[in-house]
Amino acid sequence: MILILQRILDALSVGSTYALLALGLTLVYSVMNLINFAYGMMLVWSAFIAIVLVNASLPAPFVVLGCILSSALLSVGVGRVAFQPFLTAPPVTLLITSFGVELVLQYAAIFVFGENPRILQVPAVFSEVIHAAGLRLPISELTTIVAALLVFGLLYIVLNRTRFGLQIRAAAELPDIARLMGVSPTVVLMAVFAISGAIAGLVGVLWFAQVGAVTPRSDIDPTFKAFIAIVLGGLGNVRGAIVGGLVLGALEVFLNAALPSGAIGYTDAIVFAAVIAILLFRPAGLVGVSAGL
Amino acid sequence: MNAVVALHRDRPAGAAGLLVGLLGPLLLAALITGLAELVQTMTQGTISDIVLVFGINAIMVVGFQAFVGNTGIVSFGHVAFMALGAYAAGILSVPITLRAIELPALPAVLAQTELDVPLTLLLGGTAAALGALVAGIAILRLSGAAASIATLGLLVIVNNLLVQAHSITRGPQSLYGVAQSTTDGWVFGSLIVVVALSALLKWSSWGLRARAIRDDPVAAEASGVRRLPARLIPFMFSAFVTGVGGALYAQDLTAFSPDSFFVPQIVGVLVMAIIGGLGSISGALVGASAISILTEMLRRLESGVGLGPLNVQAPTGISELILGLLLIATLRWRPEGILGPLELEVDPRALFGAGSRTSARPEQPATGDVTSAPATAAERDDVRSRREP
Repeated sequence: MILILQRILDALSVGSTYALLALGLTLVYSVMNLINFAYGMMLVWSAFIAIVLVNASLPAPFVVLGCILSSALLSVGVGRVAFQPFLTAPPVTLLITSFGVELVLQYAAIFVFGENPRILQVPAVFSEVIHAAGLRLPISELTTIVAALLVFGLLYIVLNRTRFGLQIRAAAELPDIARLMGVSPTVVLMAVFAISGAIAGLVGVLWFAQVGAVTPRSDIDPTFKAFIAIVLGGLGNVRGAIVGGLVLGALEVFLNAALPSGAIGYTDAIVFAAVIAILLFRPAGLVGVSAGL
Repeated sequence: MNAVVALHRDRPAGAAGLLVGLLGPLLLAALITGLAELVQTMTQGTISDIVLVFGINAIMVVGFQAFVGNTGIVSFGHVAFMALGAYAAGILSVPITLRAIELPALPAVLAQTELDVPLTLLLGGTAAALGALVAGIAILRLSGAAASIATLGLLVIVNNLLVQAHSITRGPQSLYGVAQSTTDGWVFGSLIVVVALSALLKWSSWGLRARAIRDDPVAAEASGVRRLPARLIPFMFSAFVTGVGGALYAQDLTAFSPDSFFVPQIVGVLVMAIIGGLGSISGALVGASAISILTEMLRRLESGVGLGPLNVQAPTGISELILGLLLIATLRWRPEGILGPLELEVDPRALFGAGSRTSARPEQPATGDVTSAPATAAERDDVRSRREP
């Protein structure tokens, strides 16, 4: 029983990281059909900025805040320069464009920080573990879960309780009508890029704090996890991203626990195969595309 | 009136028309081969490595185009087929005595077999095509961006399997000692064969069905074209070609690991194919040539070039940056690439003045989609008339 609880907790932690990742990606997709290959580079940049800020001996909360702000700025900049001109292009064109953007951002990171891995120093408390009722509760996992809950809550309020959120949802659902009603597509797009970037900034710190080190080529792993999560949940809606992320996390954790030791190495292959299999039965994802934001 | 060499969207009707459609890409492939040989002679073989890799890249782009051009699904998973081809051919090209030391747990069949170069190429291609058959049955049911992401999944799965299958692949360590038997002859010979096959596929009813599903799935299915087989045949062919490219690459490189075939390797082929034009084989060849020359120039710039009194040296990695920017710029201002859906065609009949384009097919200007414009009305008519009873 305790073991199952422990697994559920682990799955929640991994899953909420993936859900956060997916959230940042899916928001942009919902307004411009962009599946952003360069998304992982946002996380990498955020981690590098965190390293710079930590070296400047800023306290942890300011480091995180700095990462979130700078990442949001970077995201808006990239969105404005590289993606906005493609607003009406077909999704495949956008996907390939983002591949080009990834190359450029990666080169910039190599140019500034070099190819060698850099270690992201975290406060000692982050790597501590609480033992309670037979459960192992690593602070890093708890932080991730709490951060994810905060972001989900905040995003829910912004999207559903503010005029601004209404505009975003309108632009996502019926872009033409929204424009006729006076919703500026540019403003909405930039706002969405800012939110997406802010989330990427936060996840970047969480992700690379757990991994330990970052290189300019560390972006592939988070990008893939985010892709799989949004496709699994259903492209372009918030619920899909959260469900997709949590299901992907659960799949990974439970497969790792259930597989015989000889097969553990194949977890990635099995997870991807399982996801493709799920898509065969639900091509629109678990939640479906039509659910709205 | 009719030129001997011209660019067209569509081939003329009939068997003679098929020849016209075949000769164009073949002429380009022959031209590229001739140029490569000329470069080899002029440089006395000092840059033969670069010429070989260029030829292999050209094969890979032709393979990539055969799937993406005909089905409109952008694949990020072709590197996986390259890996399958490279490992299948590579393992069997390690000398048997070395193989026994390097891979002691190899199954007997694999441990004892030694193959000639053409057989290793066929084996590499076949391994990749089988991989495509298994993966395609699942992936090709999806469409658009979901399908593209599923091909990324394929890449991860293959990479994971190669890393884990220690007894066959040496796992994450590199497989070394592969006999270096890739020569100009094999590379450019394969290129010409592959271009001819690719053109045959494009102008066959299989190619037509795939493009019909690409352009108007509902109308095509209503006309009796089944979606999965229509996509699966180009997918398998394309994987075969890419696998052959991988086999050649393995026997040129002689040592490689699963990491030699992962996301960074997608860049080159993708950029070449898109800049050349995803819609045509000629475009694939033009793109491969243009980008190869460009990257080679950039590479030299990275290692420093004397311009008169100046020594210009670009920072390392600049070629990736330029490729990224070029990709974005192409998609922004010329999304159909250099050639778009236009195919080079050679009409020998025009030499004798007798040639006339018998096709009544209207030519359409290219539109803005990466995966090229909707089919002409005539293409759709053809699908209807050729559908199976």
